[in-house]
Amino acid sequence: MIAPAAQSFPAAIGRKPLLQIQGLGVRYGSHWALRDFDLDVHQGDMVGIIGPNGGGKSTLFKAILGLVPPTAGRVLKPSGALRIGYVPQHLTYDTSFPITVGEFLTVNHPARFFWCGGVGRKQKREITDTLERLHVADLLGQRLGTLSGGQFQRILVASALLQKPELLLLDEPSASVDRRGSDDLSDILEEIHRATSLSVVFVSHDLHFVSHLAKKVCCLNQTCCAAGDPETVLTDHLLAQTYGTTGHTWRGFQPSDPLSR
Amino acid sequence: MNLSEIWSYEFIRYALISACILGPTCALLGVFVTLRGMAFFSDSLAHSAVTGVALGFLLEEKTGLAIDPMLIVLAFSIGLASLMAWLFHRTTLRPDTVIAFSFTGSVAFGVIIIAWLQKYRLLDGILFGSIYANGPGDILRQAILALVVGGFLLLQMRPLTLSTLNPELAQTRGIRTGWLNYAFAILIAATVVVSLRMLGALLLSALIVIPPAAAKLVSNSFASLLLVSAVIGLAAPFLGVVASCQLDLPTGPTIVLANVGVLILCYAASLFLGNRALHRGGRPQ
Repeated sequence: MIAPAAQSFPAAIGRKPLLQIQGLGVRYGSHWALRDFDLDVHQGDMVGIIGPNGGGKSTLFKAILGLVPPTAGRVLKPSGALRIGYVPQHLTYDTSFPITVGEFLTVNHPARFFWCGGVGRKQKREITDTLERLHVADLLGQRLGTLSGGQFQRILVASALLQKPELLLLDEPSASVDRRGSDDLSDILEEIHRATSLSVVFVSHDLHFVSHLAKKVCCLNQTCCAAGDPETVLTDHLLAQTYGTTGHTWRGFQPSDPLSR
Repeated sequence: MNLSEIWSYEFIRYALISACILGPTCALLGVFVTLRGMAFFSDSLAHSAVTGVALGFLLEEKTGLAIDPMLIVLAFSIGLASLMAWLFHRTTLRPDTVIAFSFTGSVAFGVIIIAWLQKYRLLDGILFGSIYANGPGDILRQAILALVVGGFLLLQMRPLTLSTLNPELAQTRGIRTGWLNYAFAILIAATVVVSLRMLGALLLSALIVIPPAAAKLVSNSFASLLLVSAVIGLAAPFLGVVASCQLDLPTGPTIVLANVGVLILCYAASLFLGNRALHRGGRPQ
């Protein structure tokens, strides 16, 4: 089913959503980055958001996180406080900052009471378990500034998972990794999603990644142009409508394309 | 003069105690100051103390009130630090631009007051400090500062480290970076004012900037950066005071040169350890 105004996805109708976005609009000065956007995210959803640059994808995440105030509409968390784990697209930091992966994850740990940046044994166990889950346990003592793009991306995912999130927001998770790294990351995220019923919303330009991972797709260009299953949304026609051009990036692309697996 | 002889002089004893308290305090705070790119900020607060002192004398001359000049300098520096932190947050001006006009403006104002009061001799003490003028009251003030800085760092280590690494990521992890930045700016102002007597406005930055810079060259983790920085912060000023007594040199500059000497040693050690490229940072391509 194609739902041009992207509300609840059909399979979820009747269930209470974790996150409810109603008529959301965000304006920077006179420019509307996002307008009339509706989206319901339920427990266990895996939603991929695609759209052109400047289409409002990062603004949407910032509004969900409360980093930018909505100009119109609202972001509701019907179950009360919602624990969100966020993985940014870029993390600008001083790469000469001498901090190890273990220390980085320690300061990211949400444990409230500890001294001098340390955590207890239980929290240390959680950190190593999370790294093992992401297949990067060997990076624990390595300096953050020496990691490759793919390794760094996984550490960011680990830092978000340590928040014990009910909702995971990933901004371009495959942007800094090659095709194989992207497939590996997609497999890991799928495994975590299957094992924990974690709700995931991610933004990506990589249609292969989206078709591999997303169970639902939303096309965003300031507002939601189309939403539904990957098979129905990832078509030349709807993608052309979303991106507002008839470019060739997605021409002929099919979700069942073996290259996407 | 051997060590026991040095220790027998009360004024040198106070100078050594002062160096041992303020050195590690400034060095630990300096780790975050340098990682946040705020070295110029702390330097500007030190120089702006000229205005605080001038205002104190103006107040005394015009009203007859003899308030502890340290309190007036402290109030002025905290006010200036808060104003600069507010401007960083609320305007689109670059932080170094904000610092430059706030600092030159306040120093110019201070010098005009000093000229008006005809008290140019004040400048000497503010600019170069006088570590041997420390008394028990100064030591107590410095010990309180060390406790406040140490307590703040212990309790706020996680939010401070994360917001130093990336403020936006810290916000998404529920850290209120706004108040943390204000608190940190005020703590720098208090540290600078209380430490002024040791090195003076011109040289004080050495205590804050050099130990963490040297420690960064030989550290592979954040824990080691903090530890090595505190050790250098303790050792270099102590050596500086002792060397100045032995060699009959001015103490403030000798402390700074001891810090620079340790920095050079750390650089040599990093070359010897063969991980200079690592310390420069950057990810392997």
